Amino acid sequence: MLRYLRLYLYFLRFSLSKAMEFRLDFFFRIVMDVVFYIVHLAFFTVIYRHTDLLGGWTLDQIYLFVAGTMLTDALHMTLFANNLWWLPVYINRGDLDYYLVRPVSPLFLLSLREFAANSFVNLLIAAGAVVWAVWRYPEPLGAARVVLFLVLLGFGVMVYYLLRMLFIIPVFWLHSGRGLDEIAWSLNRLSEQPHQIYHPWLRVVMLTILPIALLVSVPSHALFGGDALLRLVHVVTVTACLFGFVVWFWRVGLRAYASASS
Amino acid sequence: MTPRLFLTAVSLQARKLMSYRVAFWATAIIAFAAELVVAVFLWRAIFEASGEESIGGFTYGGMLLYYVCALLTAKLVYGRERDLSVSEDIYQGHLTRYLIYPVSYGVFKYAEHLGSMVPSLVQVLLFAGAAGFILPLPSDLGITPATVAMALVSILVAGLFVFALRFTVQLVSFWADNVWSLNVMLRFSMEFLGGLMLPLSLFPEVVRQVLAATPFPYIFYVPVTTLLGRVSVAEWLRGLVVTSAWIVVVVLVARWVWARGNRVYSGVGI
Repeated sequence: MLRYLRLYLYFLRFSLSKAMEFRLDFFFRIVMDVVFYIVHLAFFTVIYRHTDLLGGWTLDQIYLFVAGTMLTDALHMTLFANNLWWLPVYINRGDLDYYLVRPVSPLFLLSLREFAANSFVNLLIAAGAVVWAVWRYPEPLGAARVVLFLVLLGFGVMVYYLLRMLFIIPVFWLHSGRGLDEIAWSLNRLSEQPHQIYHPWLRVVMLTILPIALLVSVPSHALFGGDALLRLVHVVTVTACLFGFVVWFWRVGLRAYASASS
Repeated sequence: MTPRLFLTAVSLQARKLMSYRVAFWATAIIAFAAELVVAVFLWRAIFEASGEESIGGFTYGGMLLYYVCALLTAKLVYGRERDLSVSEDIYQGHLTRYLIYPVSYGVFKYAEHLGSMVPSLVQVLLFAGAAGFILPLPSDLGITPATVAMALVSILVAGLFVFALRFTVQLVSFWADNVWSLNVMLRFSMEFLGGLMLPLSLFPEVVRQVLAATPFPYIFYVPVTTLLGRVSVAEWLRGLVVTSAWIVVVVLVARWVWARGNRVYSGVGI
């Protein structure tokens, strides 16, 4: 475990020096995410000009949901996004050889090697948005609930990563990531709204089989009330099952992998 | 560039896109379905919570119709964004071969853009038919042959404007190491301020007045409301003139950036 932590610190160092070499791109990415955040906030602000509630949530509650979306997105962009972007290319080109022969878990190496320093700046902005949304909330939320919200958001980031992996691993057989990525993004659109607005059967799917509601909607729901322990158990169980499935799927995929030299 | 060569480029691009048929149809169907599912449940929740019959001038059915039309309009206006590949040409040095062709690089890319719209047109026709059967659309659609013709002209002009804008942004690749984020930023802005994410009639009056002085409403909102018969002929003509003026401005900027970019371009190893 300590070896992996040390290794991750090396990843951090290399990624930071790399980010400083591409300064214009560093700046563009920060602005891009800020635009994304503004659009997301403005979207719900305009909607709430015409209604007081959405899926039972007030504007103050939706701002917490949006801030949670920002934080989840920023964490994903900082930790995983760059790595997952290249993974289908490595599989397709046979470049995985380089990672498979290393004396560490290939999944760890391929998922976390590149730390996006530019998105880290956005992570600070997103964290600021969460603080702002909690601070402006008209009633006291309670420290325990806020901690639970943050913990569940952490699981949400993990679920996001695992779901993205589910749409990347088939590249071992399809030999192209074309289309899969777009499908994943399209399905992710459903997670950008509170899950209570959907039909009950769709909600069940979003909470279990394709657990996109666990990204932000369920953590936000936990913040406003309900059985906290039950929600935590649900989120941990689904995340663990999904993690187990993705690891198994990855191993099956590796068996189908034809390296560059073969 | 001769019209024949232009049409050949259009045709080649259309056939190239159709060569990945499973991915092409699977992604299109799932993306369209996901957007519709969000729109249906989001607006049902809003109408139920507000208790209003009409919001921003749209009934529930009218709002769904707006979204269907906006999503299909976006397919035509965008074509296949990833196939513009100007930045790839600059980074990989492929631009060199275009520089020695006896055709304008920008016109060639526009021909490819039009080619990418052809498969989208097939999808638009099929999806429009499917949506008509599935969704509870209003009986008085407001769509007539005249509004369809007017909307198609608006979409073509909007498509040219968006192409010019994206082309210009991608030319920044002459200096920047990555312009992907600029593209995404542009897309977010166009979709929100252009009326793809929400009809602009929902925006506060002051915002609408500011937006009227920009080209954004003419990308999605005006073509869609034209199709729905909510825009008079005079307003439609005004929209075309305004968008055309913006196209001229963007093309002039693109030419300026292109001239400067060419000075710093090097196709090493090609």
